[in-house]
Amino acid sequence: MSSSAPRPVLASLAVAAATCLLSACGGGGTAPAAGAAAAGKPVYGGTLTYLEHQAPTCLYLPAAGFYPNGGVLNQLTDKLTWQNPETLKIEPWIATSWEVNEDATRYTFHLRDGVTFSDGTPLDADAVAANFDVYGKGDPKLKLPVAEFVNNYERSEVVDKNTVRFHFSKPSPGFLQGTSVIGAGLVSKKTISLPYEEQCQLKNVVGSGPFTVAKQVVDKEIDLAARKDYDWAPKSSGHQGRAYLDQIKIIVTPEDNVRVGALTSGQADYVRYVQAYDEQTVKDAGFAIYAEPTRGVNNGLYLRPANSILKDVRVRRALQKGTNAKEVVDTLFTPSYPVATSVLSHLAQGYVDLSKELAYDPGAAAKLLDEAGWVKGADGVREKDGVKLQLGVFVSGPQPLSKQTLELVGQQWAKLGVKLEIRPADAGTQAVDIKNAEKTAIAHSMVGRADQDVIKSHFHTKNRDVILSNDAKLDRLLEEESALPDEAARNAKVAEIQRYVVDQAYAIPLFEEPQVYGVAPNVHGVAFEAVARPSFYSVWKS
Amino acid sequence: MRPGLILSWALIVLVALWALVPGVFTGYDPIAGIPAEKLRAPGPGHLFGTDAVGRDLFARVVHGAVNSLSGAFVAVAVGLVLGTLLGLVAGSVRGALDEIVMRVVDVLLSVPGLLLALTVIILLGPGTVNVAVAVGVGSVASFARLARSEVVRVRRTDYVEAAFGSGGRFAAVLWRHVLPNSLVPVVALAALQFGVAILAISTLGFLGYGAEPPTPEWGLLISEGRNYLATAWWLTTLPGTVVVAVVLAASRISRSIGREDG
Repeated sequence: MSSSAPRPVLASLAVAAATCLLSACGGGGTAPAAGAAAAGKPVYGGTLTYLEHQAPTCLYLPAAGFYPNGGVLNQLTDKLTWQNPETLKIEPWIATSWEVNEDATRYTFHLRDGVTFSDGTPLDADAVAANFDVYGKGDPKLKLPVAEFVNNYERSEVVDKNTVRFHFSKPSPGFLQGTSVIGAGLVSKKTISLPYEEQCQLKNVVGSGPFTVAKQVVDKEIDLAARKDYDWAPKSSGHQGRAYLDQIKIIVTPEDNVRVGALTSGQADYVRYVQAYDEQTVKDAGFAIYAEPTRGVNNGLYLRPANSILKDVRVRRALQKGTNAKEVVDTLFTPSYPVATSVLSHLAQGYVDLSKELAYDPGAAAKLLDEAGWVKGADGVREKDGVKLQLGVFVSGPQPLSKQTLELVGQQWAKLGVKLEIRPADAGTQAVDIKNAEKTAIAHSMVGRADQDVIKSHFHTKNRDVILSNDAKLDRLLEEESALPDEAARNAKVAEIQRYVVDQAYAIPLFEEPQVYGVAPNVHGVAFEAVARPSFYSVWKS
Repeated sequence: MRPGLILSWALIVLVALWALVPGVFTGYDPIAGIPAEKLRAPGPGHLFGTDAVGRDLFARVVHGAVNSLSGAFVAVAVGLVLGTLLGLVAGSVRGALDEIVMRVVDVLLSVPGLLLALTVIILLGPGTVNVAVAVGVGSVASFARLARSEVVRVRRTDYVEAAFGSGGRFAAVLWRHVLPNSLVPVVALAALQFGVAILAISTLGFLGYGAEPPTPEWGLLISEGRNYLATAWWLTTLPGTVVVAVVLAASRISRSIGREDG
């Protein structure tokens, strides 16, 4: 790389920057422009320090939806197809081309030649078939669950070394997009044949991606090294060949202040999860903020109909009308967090604007509760037959400012005479109570995926089942949606589901949750997959 | 009395009044804020400023006093009663029982207090009362050891021997002669422990084991504010200052107990 000559300059710049920080001087806004001017031609080499908010959990690929997991696995694995984050079109990657039959029950993929996993074994039709057999059907013996992005899977068929065919029992139009999601990362045959507990461990994940694991300190740090012989980036990628960076240090840094401080002081290059209140600090210091949309089911409160209070649809509707999502966003968040106008993000496929149905109307809410027989008691909390209108919810660790959000909603509900019982996230009881609709009446969550099936992932009893649904009609609608081969018909069905969910008041959508990243001005080529997980393949440092 | 001591007592009385009649000190609601007035710096309208949801921080500190102080009282009471009882029995019965109790106390003393409290919390589950009990259990050992050493001394005195000699029953002598004369250092420790308990309860609140949000509690207030340290310093600094002041005052009062010059 460069000689030693520029060093004094850099050092003095660093000192200047540090002095600047200490004396809190302004005028930092010019820095990005300077960075862009100095960008020029990409350079190879260097180490990127990436600070992650939470430690990765189980790294079994279909469990990669959790952002800390996805941030690691997106660098280690490739997928059959690539979803262009701008157009959301599916483009070739490991599969150079594919054919889908009329009713979307048979998919044939033609694979790129010469792709290998990092353990040297070939990524061929055999390996792909082994991967999707597990993702599509699970493996009870190895305790591997079915992946939520594959529906109606029947079997795979290896046509020849580089051709694989998948058969479905019913139409599965979401499958093509399903092959591009983070959870569909391809791993070696050895990895996929391991039992669940072992696939969970990072050291056993062998992919074909641009980086490999060099070192791991569990729950603290993961070091990734570039794979020198990598040469199978998606065709449409501007950059080909090996990754620019030599190394990535992923360091788990849960404290928000520390992440932002490390970024602005130059100790880190790239951080995930810049909180809303820190965005301005990061921008003022001359760093870039990327608020990437997640195009899925919005951040919101999901009401569980199996709860003895919430089984009454009037109570659910009252809570929906009595929640002021705009006030939540205005108070706690920034324009990076658009107010929800439906169950789905406005960038999701099949989105329909339901802002009128979701309008804040405390008067109507109070009336509904009166009708349902809930009368205000002496302490201002409504009661019925000696039972207080009190609902439990857990603070949700992955959701930004979940506690503050719940407190603010609780404040709005208190005016209606409803008590929201907010429980801290790290209590030992959470694991037990979260699946109990009586104790946890409400779930605060979201899910990102750029396909119509995202709504099924969220609500179907066999997928995430956030509301612990006991509504057979909802399940039926979701299954119908996932089996409609025609795009327009699928979107119409997704719209119908959104209307149904809002009408039944299973959901109180709050805002469209982005993933917010802070990036140093000398980091270029920042890219994300379709639901905001970073890709470091084309990143380089000047 | 020295000025430092007067100040300490004044502070403790003030904080006790916060706990008893919070409405006198602040007109704001500690739970329901005005979202439009979020993150206001300390000023005439809001003495301690407001938090991210627009709640008055001073109101939250004042209303939080009852949770933190009553917790500390329960904790000290648990430690004082159980510890003194164990020490009294061990110190006056002596023999094998004394050995067993004191070895158990040794083991308890070797475990860090916070760790012990966390262990108890995991068994009992989170909550204000449970946190207080957990902190109290953690202090039983020190009370027991102190009480025993005093009891052993008093037990040997002539008037206790005389009481036994004149036909006093064991329990009655313990109650009328041994206990009252061993208590002064124990009470001093209780005052000190009061400060320690506030700190321990705040620590557990900070870790999320105490009161349920949005209930104000001092440790929780400090914890909630720490993410805003760069943008809204008052959220952590002011409740933190209150806790420090109360703990220092309790320790100053403890030092004065049993000392002629205060």
